[in-house]
Amino acid sequence: MAENPYKVLGVKEGASYDEIKRAYREMVKKYHPDKYRDNPLADLADVKMREINQAYDSLMKNSGGSFQYQSESGESQDYNSYDANAKSGRQSGQSSQSSSGGQAGANRQQSGQTGQSGQQGWQGQTGQTGQGSQQGWQGGQQAGSTDESELAKQARNFVNAGNLAEAQRLLDRMRNRNAEWYYLQGLIFLRKGWYDRGYASIQRAVQMDPGNFEYRNAMNGMNNQFQGYRQQYVNRGGAQNPDMCQLCTTIWCADSCCECMGGDLVGCC
Amino acid sequence: MFGYVNPDKPELKMREYEVYRACYCAVCKAIGRKSGQLPRLVLSYDLSFLALLLDALNPEPNRILRERCIAHPMRRHAIIAPNPVIDYAADMNVLLAYYNLKDKWTDEHDVGAGTASLLIGMAARRSASRWPLQADGISKQLACLQSLEKSGCDSADEVAEPFARVMEILFACPLVKDEATRKGLSWLGYNLGRWIYLLDALDDLEHDVKEGSYNPLLLQYGYKGGSVPAFRESIRERMAFSLLYPLSEADKALKVLAIGKNAEILDNVIEAGLIRRTDEVLAGIRNGRNKRQNTGA
Repeated sequence: MAENPYKVLGVKEGASYDEIKRAYREMVKKYHPDKYRDNPLADLADVKMREINQAYDSLMKNSGGSFQYQSESGESQDYNSYDANAKSGRQSGQSSQSSSGGQAGANRQQSGQTGQSGQQGWQGQTGQTGQGSQQGWQGGQQAGSTDESELAKQARNFVNAGNLAEAQRLLDRMRNRNAEWYYLQGLIFLRKGWYDRGYASIQRAVQMDPGNFEYRNAMNGMNNQFQGYRQQYVNRGGAQNPDMCQLCTTIWCADSCCECMGGDLVGCC
Repeated sequence: MFGYVNPDKPELKMREYEVYRACYCAVCKAIGRKSGQLPRLVLSYDLSFLALLLDALNPEPNRILRERCIAHPMRRHAIIAPNPVIDYAADMNVLLAYYNLKDKWTDEHDVGAGTASLLIGMAARRSASRWPLQADGISKQLACLQSLEKSGCDSADEVAEPFARVMEILFACPLVKDEATRKGLSWLGYNLGRWIYLLDALDDLEHDVKEGSYNPLLLQYGYKGGSVPAFRESIRERMAFSLLYPLSEADKALKVLAIGKNAEILDNVIEAGLIRRTDEVLAGIRNGRNKRQNTGA
């Protein structure tokens, strides 16, 4: 933790305020808890995020700016009213989650914090993503037949806690294979590393219940990760024909954005 | 094991390439020192990547030696000075090669493989006695893989699991004491293993169709005779996802590890070298090198 804050943020010593801020934003994007949601590495990313925030804080101390990554176990906490509200508002969602699910919830919370000065635009932006995903999370818990929906709820808790075997056992007991069933099955596959099946299951859930934000969100997340990873390679100058790829990705991105809003730009995908 | 894990060489700096080479040579030398000269022939790029990765977790700069080598007796080569993680990678290389050759012998009665497995058998037993848990895990997972393949499993995801687990075991090196770091390494290894297995299956389509051997992709995507390149093209998009998604997870794992040195080389492998290789196999381009032999040099 006592590492050189410049090194943590990957900037030269004596970098300007703007450079530090830019590097910080890059790092936050890279290790954002949303990116590591439902991932066995969530806690490792959390540690990284804390290091980054500490480094940023220590560099920004003199400039008056402050932005802190918060988690329940974090050492330096600086709750303000907004965060406290957000916390109590989510209590219900969290109580149904088991310990590590609760932690994931805490991870998502980090984005909903307000800074003191000079950070407003950025804050607003991350605040929205955090809340959006939270909403989707709860939206998925609709009632079906009581017994089955209870099983689904438990299975979801096991998935969140990383107990995949138990979650699978509960899913196998369910007879009603509805959209939520396929969604949960997809999450289990995804966590296990069976990506092809995971994608197929989640796709099925989206097809069965096209209006569900949570399922669509999960599918878009997978697509984004897959495309983003390849895009990195293209940006490195790796692909032979970067212009065509860039074009395709841009169209694809635009299409995904439209689909998020309920429209469609490219009919075939 | 299959030698797919490589950097995107043209994008490496000369200095980085030297370090990469020096690590590869160090693993080779370590095999020679610990297991004898013969097992050096089973040296694999995949395991030298493991050595480089484990070594990078230690921020101390490497001591570089200049040594001669039997393969290139005329010139002195840069070699990373021996250290425990390089020895570990060397042992794992021998173990994995041994079990692979043994399976091939019992499975396909490949005489070459049988002989080779006998020849490195002693060395493998020595490696196994140094790392009993790993040896046990690898042999169990490979046995599981064999039974899945024999039963004609038609799910690529399912049959890729045991090999992914093998790589998970190898990457979770017990010399790394920090548990969180080991977890990151495990996930990286698991996903890399998944990629290697599926890539190999895709790469072998022509061979397996010709020989009538098992290939999960032929079964999962219902190959019904006809042109293999056309079949490859028809599954290209699904396979691109199945191959690149695990790599994107490996990349995430690499990012959360506290890499103390050689980060550029590791990034190059995970973010460029592997994608380039994937693109080649997706397009059906085979390397001139016969990858069935495990020699990397």
